Amino acid sequence: MRALSNLRVLELAGGVAGEYCGKLLADFGAEVIKIEAPGTGSETRRMAPFAEGAQANENSGLFAYLNTGKRSVTLDLGSDAGRQVLQRLLARIDVVLDDHAPGYLEALGIDPSRCGSDESGLTVCCITPFGYDAPPDVHKAYSLNVFHSSGWGYHSPSAPDPGTPPLQGAGRFVVDYESGLSAAIALMAALYWREDSRRGQFIDVSQQESLASLSDYVLSQMVDGAMDVSTRRSAFDLGGPATFFRCADGYVYLFISEPGHWKGLSTLMGDPQWMTEFPDRWLELHLTPERIERCRTHIGEWMKDQQKMDVVARAQKLGIPLASVNTAADIVESPQMQFRGFFVEVEHPVLGRRSYPTVPYRLSATPAGIASAAPLLGQHTEQVLSGVEA
Amino acid sequence: MGAASMTPLSTGPLHGVRVIELTKIWAGPYAGKLLAFLGAEVIRVESLDSLDASRRFGVKDINAAPGFQAVNPGKCSIQLNMKSDEGQRLLADLVKKSDIVIENLRPGAAKRLGFGYEQLRELKRDIIAVAMSMHGQEGPLSYQTGYAPSFSALGGVCHLVGLKDGAPKLLNVRYGDSSYGSAAAFAALVALYHRRRTGEGQYVDVSAVETLASVVGDAFMEYFLTGKVPTRNANRHSEMAPHGVYPCGDEDWISIAVRTQDEWHALCAAMGNPALAADPRFVDRAARQQHAAELDVLLEAWTKPQDAQELGERLRARGVAAFKSLNSIDLVSSDHLWRRGFFQHVSDPARGEMSIAGAPWRLSLTPAKITRSAPRLGEHNDYVFGELLGLSEAERERLVAEKIVY
Repeated sequence: MRALSNLRVLELAGGVAGEYCGKLLADFGAEVIKIEAPGTGSETRRMAPFAEGAQANENSGLFAYLNTGKRSVTLDLGSDAGRQVLQRLLARIDVVLDDHAPGYLEALGIDPSRCGSDESGLTVCCITPFGYDAPPDVHKAYSLNVFHSSGWGYHSPSAPDPGTPPLQGAGRFVVDYESGLSAAIALMAALYWREDSRRGQFIDVSQQESLASLSDYVLSQMVDGAMDVSTRRSAFDLGGPATFFRCADGYVYLFISEPGHWKGLSTLMGDPQWMTEFPDRWLELHLTPERIERCRTHIGEWMKDQQKMDVVARAQKLGIPLASVNTAADIVESPQMQFRGFFVEVEHPVLGRRSYPTVPYRLSATPAGIASAAPLLGQHTEQVLSGVEA
Repeated sequence: MGAASMTPLSTGPLHGVRVIELTKIWAGPYAGKLLAFLGAEVIRVESLDSLDASRRFGVKDINAAPGFQAVNPGKCSIQLNMKSDEGQRLLADLVKKSDIVIENLRPGAAKRLGFGYEQLRELKRDIIAVAMSMHGQEGPLSYQTGYAPSFSALGGVCHLVGLKDGAPKLLNVRYGDSSYGSAAAFAALVALYHRRRTGEGQYVDVSAVETLASVVGDAFMEYFLTGKVPTRNANRHSEMAPHGVYPCGDEDWISIAVRTQDEWHALCAAMGNPALAADPRFVDRAARQQHAAELDVLLEAWTKPQDAQELGERLRARGVAAFKSLNSIDLVSSDHLWRRGFFQHVSDPARGEMSIAGAPWRLSLTPAKITRSAPRLGEHNDYVFGELLGLSEAERERLVAEKIVY
């Protein structure tokens, strides 16, 4: 049973945020019809990673990941004829999903401000960098710009080296995945409400706010005056000795904040003499920069000869929240990921049989799943439009 | 008491949905907060016997803890000693009147308390039970524990943050819990939608590590397609150059991202250096990526004496995506975020009014209004035990005296 199999989504989005949101719905069985420009298709078709030797426009692993389970329809929205087909198609659609700049939908004859004013039940969701009412001056903003407009950018990474600039986050698309998820949440709530009201509505999702919201624990304290605001790059950071340590074969991240962690760590390292020189409950009550430095130096000395997966397993059994710094390869090989089936194989006509990451939730009655590979450009044009043209 | 006398505590698309939170600290409460922002009635079950640490961080008054207040606005709080039989019975009665139960206790702990999925289902056939944990409820590593930075390390995020030749970094020590709460909230809503259509409830098992792996999902595709293990590379980007954060004055920064040739030419013109566009080192994107370090040096020298805000405006006027990197002062004083209602005021019984960071979406017909600050411990004992469960005042007094409501 698929949870969203009754929903038909028209995906006009051409960016990672909108495509990811569409994928989250397709994973639960929504019929997602992706509108693409004839000849070129979505921009993500031309974004890395690429499969070597495969044909252009069908060789992107990014597109393949973001568009599983969807149908591709090519339609020239620059022409009157194309826009007329779009209008006819809309009559059969529950949700329009877009991530272009404000004004794009209006130019296609879809007016978000009229959403919910008729009996169609059409729900329109737009993901934009700063919200639908943002001034035109900020309509164009890439993920890096949004990340740095959210607070995370300026204050990241934690424990910054003052000699190097703030960073983009992890990979290229944290902003897009997070805001796509944020849109999917709002959309599901609106669709739940629609079940009784039979009314659609307009959902305006700001990427800047999606990211800023994720820092609510600090940001709400800051806006309320309970936590200092400042231009310190480390203003979001926590005190304490928690940090990364180099091992023989990689890195680990050690989090210690309470006496139980300290005791476990002592056992793990063979009760070294230096640990007895720290006062009781120092992690809670007696943190000083000198103690933190000293503790890190000693732990670093011991850790450098350890194997990361092995030391993590031993530490966890002693109640120490030690974590390995995993690479993509580590995660693929992780027995936990294999147990949960986080990666699944999908057959794609151009890319062949490949593994794909799935989603972080297991639903007992309506599990998510990848129904089909990402579509070739225009693969479903005839099938979808044949009923519409008539 | 009849339904007519019940006071609706919220409005929004989830009006009428009741959520019970058996949660701690941030991730579980963030999931509940999003549902509260959408109009659900969210009840945190608390107790002096096992008080959430975020009610104690940095304060003596458990009802004025800023960390707790940040993540729990608009919710209800009740007290129940879950170690007592009667406490468990009362929670069972509440489950019968609820739609969703969210817990982020250690795997197995909810079951030991009598509130694992099978037990919840006995109480209410169509309940939606959301269990949140670091690695998922079962499996060879499910016994392991950690905090937000652990999720980032395990999920592959940290490995992708930092300089090419440097150690891994945390995107931020605060990053992870709320993302994972968001994933839980989405899954809960899918389950709720399914229940609305079919009457069927279900169990939802959410993994923090998998959530963090999902924010670098394309890195796995790169590994699968090319065999190469993606690694950190500062601010480099496969589709853009220049792509970085450049200094302005002593402490400000500007983010500049260039994707097209037009944008590159516009940037060169703004730099008063149109010849740069024809320099073979920077003539197209591939060349600029190859010489990215040299390009960064040129840009840094140019941005350094300038004002980040003004420079951003000037570049954007030419079509270049450039924005001042907002620090926490910029953020809380942003006219845009206040005007849109992202930052908003809520009422607070002790202080009259306080400010919070609100929801990242606007729903045109069902704008949930968050009007109350986070609850005092047990603030809604009377509402829940009296109005919802129908206990008399005398019975409620006995429960308090016997430390069941504690």
